[in-house]
Amino acid sequence: MFWGKRLGSVALALLGCLILQRVGLGLNSYFQTMLVLAGVYVTLSVSLNLINGITGQFSIGHAAFYMIGAYSAGVLARAFYVPLDKSLYSPLNNGFQGLVQSISPGFTCQLQPLMWLIGVMIAGAIFAAVAGFVVGLPSLRLKGDYLAIVTMGFGEIVSIIVRNQEPLGKSYGLEIKPTIPSIFLTWLLAVVCIAVCRNLLKNVHGLSFLAVREDEVASSAMGVNVTRVKVAAFVLGSAFAGAAGAIYAHSLGFVSPTNFSMDISFIILTMVILGGSGSITGATVAAVVLFYIPEWLRDLKTIPMAGFVGAIFATIMVVALVKRTLDGFQEKGRKTAMIFASIGAGIVMTIALRFALKGVTGLEGSIDGNKLRFVVLAAILVILMLLRPQGIFAHHEFSWKWVKGLFKKKTAVSA
Amino acid sequence: MDFSTHFVAAFELTTLPQQLINGLLNGAIYALIALGYTMVYGVLKLINFAHGEVFMLGAYGALFVSWKLGYQPDGNAPPPSLMALVLMLLGAMLICTIVAFFIERFAYRPMRNQPRIASLITAIGLSLLLQYAGQIFLLNGTPQTIQAEKISPFSGNVVLNLRGADQSRLAEAEKLKPAWDAAVAEFKARMPLEPGGEFNLSQEGERLHTKQGDAERAYKAALNDGNAGVMKIEVPKGQVVLFTITIILMAVLTYLVMFTKQGRAMRAVSHDFNAASLMGINIDSIITFTFLLGSALAGAGAMMYCTFIPGTKIDSFLGLAPGIKAFTAAVLGGIGNIPGAVLGGLVMGVAEYLVVWAGYDSYRDAIAFLILIVVLLFRPGGLLGSAKVEKV
Repeated sequence: MFWGKRLGSVALALLGCLILQRVGLGLNSYFQTMLVLAGVYVTLSVSLNLINGITGQFSIGHAAFYMIGAYSAGVLARAFYVPLDKSLYSPLNNGFQGLVQSISPGFTCQLQPLMWLIGVMIAGAIFAAVAGFVVGLPSLRLKGDYLAIVTMGFGEIVSIIVRNQEPLGKSYGLEIKPTIPSIFLTWLLAVVCIAVCRNLLKNVHGLSFLAVREDEVASSAMGVNVTRVKVAAFVLGSAFAGAAGAIYAHSLGFVSPTNFSMDISFIILTMVILGGSGSITGATVAAVVLFYIPEWLRDLKTIPMAGFVGAIFATIMVVALVKRTLDGFQEKGRKTAMIFASIGAGIVMTIALRFALKGVTGLEGSIDGNKLRFVVLAAILVILMLLRPQGIFAHHEFSWKWVKGLFKKKTAVSA
Repeated sequence: MDFSTHFVAAFELTTLPQQLINGLLNGAIYALIALGYTMVYGVLKLINFAHGEVFMLGAYGALFVSWKLGYQPDGNAPPPSLMALVLMLLGAMLICTIVAFFIERFAYRPMRNQPRIASLITAIGLSLLLQYAGQIFLLNGTPQTIQAEKISPFSGNVVLNLRGADQSRLAEAEKLKPAWDAAVAEFKARMPLEPGGEFNLSQEGERLHTKQGDAERAYKAALNDGNAGVMKIEVPKGQVVLFTITIILMAVLTYLVMFTKQGRAMRAVSHDFNAASLMGINIDSIITFTFLLGSALAGAGAMMYCTFIPGTKIDSFLGLAPGIKAFTAAVLGGIGNIPGAVLGGLVMGVAEYLVVWAGYDSYRDAIAFLILIVVLLFRPGGLLGSAKVEKV
């Protein structure tokens, strides 16, 4: 039963990756990049969750590890990698390739870049892990806010150093050839990251991580090696971020310091907290959602000013109503009804205000959705924190048991 | 690599005092902003990430006041006046206070009973929200500058001579000058007498040319020698005003915190939240008061930053860099500690300009964090703070 569930989960995850790859091939390059980036953000969010949510070490410099991975991939690609030229291709040159060729003919040029990508991922992970080790060391002495500011400072230092190095392209960045967008590998990395975190939590090592989060002094008194746990969390988390960075670099074909600014650290942190600090499911879902919302807004070129202002008023009203409902009403059914009623009222109000405010001077014209991206992101963040500070999933996790319970309830209702 | 030559060439001792003063002036602004961070942390134990954005809004407040007073970028401006500067300062402080009141009331107060991380995330969210909403609503995000040269009655520099020129060498140079002039005159006088430009090639021409060159070299060497030791500090008068106002504001703050009833209540809340409330202190009003005080300081800092530091462009991301540096300064001095914030700010400012002095302009922003990390590794509580020992 145990192994059945486990193997089933692994098979399902792999199948999911393959399906994403298959779906991605049918889409245009923009959506392919989107799929890759979504996977990258899931990895980043889950790996930060390991440091931040599970071990309780408050780190706001995750973009630095991501950056180190991406730049090491970029430098390696520029230094060593010669794209496979078809005319030079011969199966005898490369034993492994010949082997694959004999198994599945026609699968030639694809393989070499993929192998390279895997190698570069490992390299990026190693470099980032070393950096994580360096950052992990101060965490032995510092706590809470002080650790946060040190990780932020580390991130800034890495960024400034990169900006000033000629071989790293200064502020302009590096171009990386060839681009190898592999949806399958990206999501495989995400799945591996999730699996590592999940399995960690199920055995004694992971429990010591949780113990350090809950109470450092007590856990060290119980024989947990606090030093080792903290450094291990940093090394593991940053290694995954580095691998994600390598994938990012090779899928976009371009890295520049602005892609890894402090905003990115904050966004990853937001994903972790919004999902529910410590919840892997939450980190995953929040990463996908929070990655998708700004991308969706990027496409909306013109949003009427009147509608936007109306939406602001409506949002404020809804938040106030929902907050009052959450604080005031005890009865569960009434609570839900009130929440849905206020959301409905908000939507009605938005539409009404959009037409009511149309003629007002100063509110004609429209806004570029691109400018609105971070406004919406930040607003969601503040509102959710006000209404549900423990995050969407709080400490809950997705599990087969939960799915089973879902079906059981349904049958019970029908019977 | 040109590393070594660069390193050696940049160390000019004569410019050191000037850079130290620049650092102090810059550090004063950091200190002013850092005070806001540290005071809020003292009472709420919350890193107010939105403080940099309050600073940014203060800068906009000063800009709009200056526009209302007629100092538009184009067109006729009224004559420079001290009154306009005072009005701008008050306007910036007022705007910051109002914004801070709303932030505290509607974002931070509901979070007070939640885990600290939740309020921290709210602060980060507010910071992002104000930055990007400002990009839409504040002049469409177009960068603006305050017309400081039209407003400020303080123009010109204050010059302080630390070490004058070597007068004996200069006098020597003066004595050598006639010889050089004479040599030049002689050379020029002989020139047209020999047609076809053959004079330059003749033996006599060669001799006179060498004589002229020698005289010139002797004169210039003496002059350079005389001036080499000159060490002076030049500070724009506006920045002197800035420093003075900063000191006054800090003095006022010290008075408020140390010698008034409100200040005592603030210190009590900072010391022990619950005990203070048991002693009959109205926690809410004290926290609001502290918050507004810190934000008003940020407003003053913003007005001075944009007016007296030339070339400052006001846009909605203005608060980002000073905010982070001031925050670093607050942590460096020991967050929650008021003298620590001032010390941290000054140390950061001076360190930055020392890096500039050493020739590494581009690493100016990195040094702040480097110092911070090193200091925290050896004194985890900051320079003046004390690290708390956790007890079971």
